[in-house]
Amino acid sequence: MIFDSSIVTSVFGQFAPIAPMIVLIIGALVMPAVFFATKRRGAVTGVAMAVILISILFNVLMLADGYQGEYAGLFAYDAFSGVMILLFQAVIFLTALVSVSSSETTRMHYGAYNSLLLAAAVGMMFVATASDLITIFLGIELASITSYVLVAMKRSDPRAAEAAVKYVIIGGLSTALTLYGLSMLYGVAGTTNIADIAAALSTQGFSWAFGIAMITMIAGFGFKIAAVPFHAWAPDVYEGAATPVSMFLGTGSKKVGFVALFKIFLVIFVAANATASFATEEMQYIFAIIAAITMTVGNVVAISQTNIKRMLAYSSIAQAGYILIVMAVMTEYALASGMFHMFTHVFMKGGAFLVVGALITVGIGEKISDYRGLAKRAPFIAFAMTVFLFALAGIPPLAGFTSKLFLFSSAIYDNGVMTQWIWLAFIAILNSAISLYYYTRVVKAMYIEKGDTAERIRIPKTFAAAIAISFVFVIVLGVFPQLIMDFCADAASALFG
Amino acid sequence: MFVEYTWLVPLVPMLCFVIVGAFGKKMPEGGGPVAIFGALFAFVMSVLISYEFFTSAAYSDPGFITAQIAWFSIGDFTINVGYYIDSLSCLMILFASFISMLIFIYSIGYMHGEGVKKRRYYAEVSLFLTGMLGLAVSSNFLEMFVFWEAMGLCSYLLIGFWGFTHPNGDDAADNAASAAKKAFLVTRLGDVCLMGGLFVLLYAFGSLDYVTVFDTAAMAAVDPNMIMLASLLIFGGVIGKSAQFPLLDWLPDAMAGPTTVSALIHAATMVKAGVYLVARCFPLFTQNPEVMLFVGLIGGITAFFAATMALNNMNIKKVLAYSTLSQLGYMFLALGAGGYMMALGIQSGDNHLIAAGAVGYTAGCLHMVNHAFFKALLFLGSGSVIHATGTEDMREMGGLHKKMKITSITMLIGSLSIAGFPLFSGFWSKELVLEAAMHAGDYGVEGYLFTIMWVLAIVTAFMTAFYMFRMWFMTFKGKPGHGTEHSHGESPKSMTAPLVVLSAFAAAIGCMILFGFDEYITIGINGAGQFQVGSGHGHGMVGWLEDIFLSAYTYLTVVLVLAAIGIAYLMYSKKSVDPGKINRNGNSLLYRALSNRWYFPQLYNRIGWGLGYGVAKGVEFVDRDVIDGTVNALSAAVVGGGESLSRVQTGNVRDYAAMVMIGVVLLFAVIVALFYFMGGA
Repeated sequence: MIFDSSIVTSVFGQFAPIAPMIVLIIGALVMPAVFFATKRRGAVTGVAMAVILISILFNVLMLADGYQGEYAGLFAYDAFSGVMILLFQAVIFLTALVSVSSSETTRMHYGAYNSLLLAAAVGMMFVATASDLITIFLGIELASITSYVLVAMKRSDPRAAEAAVKYVIIGGLSTALTLYGLSMLYGVAGTTNIADIAAALSTQGFSWAFGIAMITMIAGFGFKIAAVPFHAWAPDVYEGAATPVSMFLGTGSKKVGFVALFKIFLVIFVAANATASFATEEMQYIFAIIAAITMTVGNVVAISQTNIKRMLAYSSIAQAGYILIVMAVMTEYALASGMFHMFTHVFMKGGAFLVVGALITVGIGEKISDYRGLAKRAPFIAFAMTVFLFALAGIPPLAGFTSKLFLFSSAIYDNGVMTQWIWLAFIAILNSAISLYYYTRVVKAMYIEKGDTAERIRIPKTFAAAIAISFVFVIVLGVFPQLIMDFCADAASALFG
Repeated sequence: MFVEYTWLVPLVPMLCFVIVGAFGKKMPEGGGPVAIFGALFAFVMSVLISYEFFTSAAYSDPGFITAQIAWFSIGDFTINVGYYIDSLSCLMILFASFISMLIFIYSIGYMHGEGVKKRRYYAEVSLFLTGMLGLAVSSNFLEMFVFWEAMGLCSYLLIGFWGFTHPNGDDAADNAASAAKKAFLVTRLGDVCLMGGLFVLLYAFGSLDYVTVFDTAAMAAVDPNMIMLASLLIFGGVIGKSAQFPLLDWLPDAMAGPTTVSALIHAATMVKAGVYLVARCFPLFTQNPEVMLFVGLIGGITAFFAATMALNNMNIKKVLAYSTLSQLGYMFLALGAGGYMMALGIQSGDNHLIAAGAVGYTAGCLHMVNHAFFKALLFLGSGSVIHATGTEDMREMGGLHKKMKITSITMLIGSLSIAGFPLFSGFWSKELVLEAAMHAGDYGVEGYLFTIMWVLAIVTAFMTAFYMFRMWFMTFKGKPGHGTEHSHGESPKSMTAPLVVLSAFAAAIGCMILFGFDEYITIGINGAGQFQVGSGHGHGMVGWLEDIFLSAYTYLTVVLVLAAIGIAYLMYSKKSVDPGKINRNGNSLLYRALSNRWYFPQLYNRIGWGLGYGVAKGVEFVDRDVIDGTVNALSAAVVGGGESLSRVQTGNVRDYAAMVMIGVVLLFAVIVALFYFMGGA
């Protein structure tokens, strides 16, 4: 066996389930020291990259070896956690890589910036491994609070300060709602362990206390995933934050909400369904309605945006709507497809944000009209951006097409039988057709409209590398989806038990 | 031995795309020779594959060779990737690669002055060819769809080729850009339907492989309504791609790209993909006569309407574009009529009717091949004219025959062929199309609709002959215009040579039908009860000649065609009849309607732009102003006006917070309502 997780278990002992996080925590602690010692941003990023790579290595070893373990009844590592951790690692890798050369990230507090970035990633990973309400909440808060600071760190731009304040206030409100929901859930079930809650609820059946817990939790997590009507903060924050941070929020932070939703609701509903003592169909309808509204509002409002970061933010909202299909359909296959879409989304949307960030760094604005004639000035960047946008729109054979194919087909069939969610799939297909319109606008500006100058653009090397990585994944995952889809299928069956 | 390497057919042009894209700048002519090599290789390979296939045992039973490997799985379904070779795919790859090769050779001369942009051009046309060839040899619907979309993407890039700097100035550049976008978005509208069709098929058959879907037993086991839904959705994709009524508006605008691209889109690739898909899905479509009736009606209506729009257009390329639409309509009419008869024959078990339906299939395919040759010829010829005169307006041409003998004569051959002048290619296929439409009128309850379509098709034949010769006389005869005086004579050899080759094919390729084409390209039900393309019984030379020349309708069409040419001669060459008198100098109602394409663009603008953008603005307004406004009012009422200062500083964050709370309340309401109505809990 090439992949042997015994290295990790022998080093970390009982802490092995949270080994990937421990590595990052250590990294987060030394980051400021490295910066004060060297005063060079490159050195900090170098150390950060090393730490992230070690963490990825550990996680890959554990994941490929099929490692399972739990720590103190609070964390449990299984295929699902492994895959989600991998996703967050991919996000943090790309973000940390480009932060060093972005002109928008802080210069004074670069050590703290990286420290916060790693801490936020740790929070996300905690949610992925959590087996208890307390650790889920802890993880979400860790990720959220660090994100507020990261948004505020772009000090040169008043928009950032405004965005950060909005983010904090709305975030605080959502936290309160989440916490309220969690405490109601504890009140209903008398335990904070998710599996025990599921067991308790399946014997008790539905109660209005649980209903209220559910509503407040949907609102709280809905803020994280930017589902309509809890989405209003997202365009402001994505626009105001430094682009690497926007990318981090759009591709990583959003997924935390999904992981929490999957962990709590899917587990509970699956257990409840098994005993048939409470009907989940009403809940599924709630999620289906939110999904339909979210994707439609996201796509339609994106059409009239002129700022590319705002456009991408609305497109992110729409993508969240697609992923919410999982919560409506609630089958193992839908979950696997949803996770796969989350992966492809990291590279498609991440790639698009990276291009925007790279161009801001070399002095090109955020307006779509600023992209005129870009194909002549930076052929590779323009081509990569085209691929990312077309992947988001779902043009074959790019990653977005394959993952949407999986996701939408999961809403149509369940074990060869047509499901009742076919209308949702129809809305989703229609939506991806609409989305092509605003993506094409950017492509048209880059390739067809005439720019003011034809001067060549050279983007920083780390940006080029990160864009190239995303580019490769967008194409490879489109053509060989099985590469990650197999892991996602394992992960889904691990969560469904 | 060659068939196993079918995947090389799309792969080599794909590699050429990569090579030209990466290193084209350093190559002579921006990598043009590499693109030509790719097309040549594909053609040679196609010939070898076709030869091997037609001489193999598989040709007569089961009629195809297929091989595939697993690509990925969707839940319980496995999606494969592989090739599927039968007579139809052989036909497609043969003419697509051959004509593309000639167009690429022609491009060397035509695009010579484009400088560094040639790299992009040759890379994109190579990818375009890859799309078409891949589509033709795909073994399942999803693989086909991937190539289908790739082609759509390339057409977008190629039509917008002159986006930066159009030789005719900035206005033309803007036109090119918006035309490209229109082409992309309109065809996407069709693609959404196609995608939906694939989902239905996958659900109904549990597979997207041609072998599984077209299996007679499998189709019998599936709910006919499901097949009908899938067929109509797939045809929706075809309507978008092949620019049929009512999505026909994008193709004329797509003329904004280089003329060679128009030739490629209209003759060898893109629009032919739709015809191919209908021919490919024949087994599926013939399960319901209504589907085929729909196909035929759309075809007939498009043929007629597009021909009327060409009658008074002054732009040489647009006339050709409308004629493409019209001819595509003929193909769908033939396929629809044939399929209609075949579907009725299958339902009633009438073998005679099935055989009559097969004629429609053969007619559609033959017209597709013929059209590929004469339309490539006409477009390249018009490119040669535009190259020489620097204008696309026919009023500025005239008298070019003396200056450009080769172009003039080859285009005359193309015009004769498309007009259906006796014994030229177009004549044979057009007669067969008309015959199929007429026959279909005799059967079934809705058959009379085909009789109406047949009448429209005959009128269309008249109009076709008229507008083609109007174009030819206006361009090459009469008084030299402004553009003619500036022209610098005949185009270079690399441009005229493909014209000559194409004209030979355009004149004679239709005679294939006399030499057993219908044995190869026909569709029937074989001994095992399966649909099979090819290895049917041909009518033979005598059979076809009797069929065509013993029918009084043939002579009717010929007389109409000759009359149309005569009228065009009188109006535009001899000028003894003034067209201005008939249309009141362009002020008659009909003339204006035709110039405005029956007001289709305005209609689309109103629907598409007005509605789409209006909704977007509306939703944003609701999202931003109504919700925020309500929330503002609410929060102001609750908190009072004393804190107006803080609102300035924090923007509308309080509104967002209120939105969250309203969302929570709404959720609660919805849940209560759901539980109430669904009787849960």
